[in-house]
Amino acid sequence: MRIFRRAPDRRLLDLLHESAGNARIATDTLRELLADYPERRHLAREILKQEQDGDRIAHDIIHRLHEDGVAPPVPRTEVHALAHALDDIVDHAEQTADSLGLYGVEAPMAQAQQLAEVLAKSGAVVESALGALRDHSELSPHLVQIHQLENEGDRLSREAIASLFAKGIDPMVVIRWKDIFESLEQAIDSCETVAHILEGISLQNGRAY
Amino acid sequence: MQGSDFWPHHRTMTQPTGPIRLAAIDTDTGFIRVLAKRVEAMSWQFRSLDAPVPPHELVAMRLNALVIDVSLLGPRAWEYIEAVGEGIPGLGLIVCTERSTVAQRVRGLRLGADDWVNKPCHPEEVIARVEAVVRRRKRAGARPDRGPMVAGELEIRTDQFQAFVGGQNLDLTRREFELVQLLAEANGQVLQREEIYQRVWGYAMAHGDRSVDVFVRKLRQKLEAASPGWRYIHTHFGIGYRFQPESKVGEVPPEAAPSVEEPEETAATEDAAVERTAAESSA
Repeated sequence: MRIFRRAPDRRLLDLLHESAGNARIATDTLRELLADYPERRHLAREILKQEQDGDRIAHDIIHRLHEDGVAPPVPRTEVHALAHALDDIVDHAEQTADSLGLYGVEAPMAQAQQLAEVLAKSGAVVESALGALRDHSELSPHLVQIHQLENEGDRLSREAIASLFAKGIDPMVVIRWKDIFESLEQAIDSCETVAHILEGISLQNGRAY
Repeated sequence: MQGSDFWPHHRTMTQPTGPIRLAAIDTDTGFIRVLAKRVEAMSWQFRSLDAPVPPHELVAMRLNALVIDVSLLGPRAWEYIEAVGEGIPGLGLIVCTERSTVAQRVRGLRLGADDWVNKPCHPEEVIARVEAVVRRRKRAGARPDRGPMVAGELEIRTDQFQAFVGGQNLDLTRREFELVQLLAEANGQVLQREEIYQRVWGYAMAHGDRSVDVFVRKLRQKLEAASPGWRYIHTHFGIGYRFQPESKVGEVPPEAAPSVEEPEETAATEDAAVERTAAESSA
């Protein structure tokens, strides 16, 4: 499906794809960190670097967007929204990794590991979707996948939070993990935000995906 | 449950010299407020409960003493006092209630209460009675002759909160020590993850919490490094863990089974066994 009516600025699309690639790396690093926590807690530092890379790429996108003579491939507001949503994925992943250290978490929760798996899959699909946007290929399969993963993440997160309120659990455990589950869910939600924006771009170009 | 900031300090297993861990089951908010303020000023760890909890939950709280207003229990009061007294012999039980008769006090004390205070009373008196009960418990519970627990090459020394192999300190953290002690004292029984968590962490285990697995892994790494020829902790998938020292080469030596070295008791037991054998031979 071709969704552009005029020749897009390749550099902007490349930067958006680079940002999505960074989100994929950050979410996958978080998955690894939680799968082998606390042995691989040092990966939090890598996620922090990826978060800084994400900020840099978002900055580059905004600057490129406002350069003279640059014809944005999609409306400027959508490019802005995409840049922010992609950056949010990494920000929430970094916040999750940071919380583990900040709260002195000694061991992982199985539900957090499952949510991180869902997030890593979403991150990979987001990268594929931005690749499709750049290459003017079909978006819909990627968007459907992201929505399905978000639904799964939502279910896991609700069950995980509900399980914290069983009788007799250490209130400190509840406080720590409720925050961590929520930041994981926000990262997955940000992936869905990317999907919503891409869906809007697709519709604005006259084609339902 | 009131007082959500219970156990504000580092939670540990029974500490002979640590702060007193006190819980009070009482709905008299004024009394509880004053009591909490005073004991927390003394650095005690205080937990306020507005309803009786089952004895097994009290075990998990690892209390030194419990103050209870038995009027909250109605006719079940006697049953509860007996269950707590029998189920948690190390716990000091102080009844603090209104309008009791001599017969009720005598019955309560005989069933397992360590002390009985009539309301209205001054919280300072309750605190002094708690201190007295805990002091008596400590004296009664002091076992200076208790030796280390030996299993395989591992020596677990409760007096030092540490484990050794060939005199080498395993450098266990408090949590790791409590875990190995709990597992070793189970005498080869499988302990469920939930039970381990409740006994070591002092709370119910949240569904999906991997703390027990992580700490068993850390413990195994230290045991493997110090005693590579032995396997101590066995996984029972989907259930929990079992402590049983097994030599990796050949048979497990008979002396490897976990045992608490108590010289006098051991000698007496051995003497009795010799006498029994002699009697059986002569018969």
